[in-house]
Amino acid sequence: MTFALIIAASFLSALVIGLVGSRLRSTLQGWLLALVMGALFLLALAHLPDVSEQGMTIFSVPWVPALGLNLTLYADGLALLFVLLVTSIGTAVMIYAGYYFAHDDQAEAARFLALMMAFSGSMLALVLAGNVFTLFIAWEATSLISFLLIGFKGKKDESARKGASQALVITAGGGLALLVGLLLISAATGSTEFSQILASGDLLREHPWYTAIAILLMLGAFTKSAQVPFHFWLPGAMSAPTPASSFLHSATMVKAGIYLLARFSPVMGDTNFWVTMLVGFGLATMAIGALLALFQKDLKAALAYATISQLGALVALIGLPEGHGIKAAMLGVIAHALYKCALFLVAGGIDHATGTRLMDRLGGLWTRMGGFATVTALACLSMAGVPPLLGFVAKESLLEAMEEQPILIVLTVISAALTVALALILFWDVFMGTTRDAHVREHFHVNPRLLVAGPGILAAASLITGIGIEPLLSPPVSAAAGKAVTLHLLPTGFNLTLLLSITALASGAVIFATRETWRTWIGAPVITGAQVYQAVIGGIERAGDLVLKTQNGKIRSYLLVILTTVAALLLMIMPGELSSLNRLTFNIGGASDVLKGLLLVLALSAALASVMFRQHLLAVLSLGVSGYTIGGIFLLEPAPDVALVQFLVETLATVLLILVLVRTSEEERKKAMERVWSQSRRGLIRDVVISLTIGVGVTIFALAAVSHRPTPNTISNWYLANALPEVGVNDVVGAIVTDFRGMDTIIEITVFGMASLGVLSILTRQSPGRVVRVNLFKRTTPVQESAAPAEPKEFQPANVLNPRDNPIMRTVAALVPPFAIMLALAQIFYGGSAPGDGFTAGVISGLAIALSYVVYGYEETKRRLSWLHPAPLIGAGLTLALANAIFPLLTGGSFLEHLSLEGVSFAGIHLASTTVFEIAIWLTVLGGVSTIMDSLSHPEEVETL
Amino acid sequence: MNTFFAIATGVMFAIGVFQLLRRDLIKAAMGFNILFTAVNLLMLAVGAFNGTSAAYVDDANQVVGQPSDPLVQALLLTAVVISFGSYAVLLGFLAVTSRRFKTVDGDEMRRLSG
Repeated sequence: MTFALIIAASFLSALVIGLVGSRLRSTLQGWLLALVMGALFLLALAHLPDVSEQGMTIFSVPWVPALGLNLTLYADGLALLFVLLVTSIGTAVMIYAGYYFAHDDQAEAARFLALMMAFSGSMLALVLAGNVFTLFIAWEATSLISFLLIGFKGKKDESARKGASQALVITAGGGLALLVGLLLISAATGSTEFSQILASGDLLREHPWYTAIAILLMLGAFTKSAQVPFHFWLPGAMSAPTPASSFLHSATMVKAGIYLLARFSPVMGDTNFWVTMLVGFGLATMAIGALLALFQKDLKAALAYATISQLGALVALIGLPEGHGIKAAMLGVIAHALYKCALFLVAGGIDHATGTRLMDRLGGLWTRMGGFATVTALACLSMAGVPPLLGFVAKESLLEAMEEQPILIVLTVISAALTVALALILFWDVFMGTTRDAHVREHFHVNPRLLVAGPGILAAASLITGIGIEPLLSPPVSAAAGKAVTLHLLPTGFNLTLLLSITALASGAVIFATRETWRTWIGAPVITGAQVYQAVIGGIERAGDLVLKTQNGKIRSYLLVILTTVAALLLMIMPGELSSLNRLTFNIGGASDVLKGLLLVLALSAALASVMFRQHLLAVLSLGVSGYTIGGIFLLEPAPDVALVQFLVETLATVLLILVLVRTSEEERKKAMERVWSQSRRGLIRDVVISLTIGVGVTIFALAAVSHRPTPNTISNWYLANALPEVGVNDVVGAIVTDFRGMDTIIEITVFGMASLGVLSILTRQSPGRVVRVNLFKRTTPVQESAAPAEPKEFQPANVLNPRDNPIMRTVAALVPPFAIMLALAQIFYGGSAPGDGFTAGVISGLAIALSYVVYGYEETKRRLSWLHPAPLIGAGLTLALANAIFPLLTGGSFLEHLSLEGVSFAGIHLASTTVFEIAIWLTVLGGVSTIMDSLSHPEEVETL
Repeated sequence: MNTFFAIATGVMFAIGVFQLLRRDLIKAAMGFNILFTAVNLLMLAVGAFNGTSAAYVDDANQVVGQPSDPLVQALLLTAVVISFGSYAVLLGFLAVTSRRFKTVDGDEMRRLSG
């Protein structure tokens, strides 16, 4: 429970600081968050005795119980150690970050600190995760927030954008490998919970998927923890603001890979493969990182490579057989976090004061930055492994763990020596001697006095935990290692380890002293990971260019490709389907069927006519005829409700198409039509063949569908039997729409509402240089008519029908809307026992609105129908529909349950929840239709976008 | 009778597809309308019963004759309204693109060409 609180508190403070932080001074923001972090640290610390005794505590809340998904936290010693690390380092970093941003915009600081807190929350969730899902989500969250932090200055700084996307591609890509690995683990062990996975003993080690799982986990860990050959993203990530570099990219996030390997090593470790891979890659990374660090001029880059080296050592330690290295790994994690984080913060301070991080321009800062120099001295001593600092103990235990294998020990000592040299360089070349660059010497800013507090705390912690190592660090390290560990500052006697340690220190000093010599040996160029990454990205872009070459941009050719494919697929399956068609019957039963047949012929002829007409208006009208005829067929089915809607919708569709005709210039339309008729013979044959193939295919499909009709024993019988008793309406179709399948209807009116809002946004979207404001709750301000002839003109339907000067038409149009609404209400209230429902009501009143637009034009309609607010109507309708569906829940019923006001009956109107639903449908459809009409007849001409 | 409906669906589909393939985008838009209608026609044809009366019950909960399948009608009701919605979106796009490219000839709108 406490641990869930710790995570929640981090996210909550991220939210709070993001919302109100911009009103506070950045230093205050920093201190407040440090206070939160400090409190969380103490809270976690209070649980140390519990965890040491019980081994672990598990906290679980069901998340999607149906899928067996739980939000589980698993707090054992390992997790607790990382929690303590994140919160303690976090405290120091937050204090520092407040001062770091002291000269910047407060809002910038708030944005940064909110991201940092959100990162803390994700990182805590990562280490406390109790099942594979929680782990994966938190893992990817840290990658994403790291991306945002690296690219924090991305608006101004191109390298920040590049570094950020590079880091994201590498770490999130590794995250995907991890996901697959975790899923395989779950499949193999039959559980997603760590408590069961970790108790599965040798199951995974002996599983046939073991190697695959191990490789996937390692991909996740190696990318996150910057192991060779994925290491290059970490130096690239140094464009992040320094507090982020120190917190994420040295102390915490990059250790997530170490955590992952340590978490799974009880069930995955100790095999030949595991040991070879981890030790191999770890040592290679350690050596390469330490070597490359020495050649960096940028302070942060040098620190980044040193971090890579240390991460390599930690990976190798985790890999050692029989948990030999776990103690050294945990000590290493703590020691490294403390000194490296301090050094990063110092680098930020130096950057602030001098405007550069290049070591060959610095030097001699001792006199001006005494506090930072002291901090650096302590941190570098810890880095070099000098007693009594914590780094010494960490290095001793590292050497001790590696002792058994000569090759390991040689590599470790060499890397240690290189690290010692780097520590000396970092201190000496920055703080001693004289400032090499005159510009830096003359333009020195004094840092805020307390900027040094953050790194100061960390450096002091290196010293204190070094001296007081036994009481302070033994409990958490024992808990994390899962066995009692006693730590001592000084070795018990003179042994091999101490000798190796002294060798490393001495050779490090020699390397440092001879730096002027070896710096001239810039080695032969080697292919770096970054270059490979660039090549891959470049290759993808070139491949994209190639694909683009195949595009000719004609919408018709895309359609042709798609439809030809469909036709070819149909041709392939057609022969197989033909045999099932022998059940077809061609019986015609009575006069009604003859009438239906005639109407079918009429519908087809009208559709064909719309193809043949050379004038758009005639084609549109003939299409309308086709649609009406289909409505007639519906009526004969008999399906009166559908027929009614079909008639109304067809009218509306015809009006819309005519509006579009009016909006497009006649000249353009004529030109396009001429081109249609001047199509080449070959093209025409091709189109006919495709159409016919698809037509035949669809016919066969339709015949198959018709001949496989469900037997009369269908759900429809149930609907017929239950409409009256359950819903209280005679109209079975209405009962299905508003009750039996009410959820479908809610979705459907939502889709319709969205479609009409889509039309609105398509037609009134932003265009460069001119923004057409769409305020859903205010009328769109009509554009002032201007005298200039080139200005867009008001929509003039008079071009088509010229009804505007016709007094009869004007009178009719004025009378129609009130009548239409009365008719609509009648449809709703009596729809239960007669044809018509919310849909027809909506379309009827929508048609009345459409008539107004046609007769009066846009401006006058707006004046006359000033009470009509189309878009809010959609919202009102949808809200009402949802409220009506949710209402029964309040009284203990179920979603969309049918409620009826028994006994309340007025003029044959029966009030029930279905009536409310019908009203909601009406409002939504009316709003939608009005929005569509409003948008399409809007005089505002959208300019070239 | 439903056999004829199925054949008519196929013919209507062929007409719609042909119309869809015209250069003139207004005609292509009409093609969509024909395709919507064709599908609606098929939906009606696959109903479970050869109905002789509308799907209503009287106040005694009795049906008159053989009612036509209410399920396909409910589906059609929503399908008709939804296809109108998508048709409106299509026409909205048509209005904007014709304004932007100063043409309704689909072959002249070639911003995607590589």
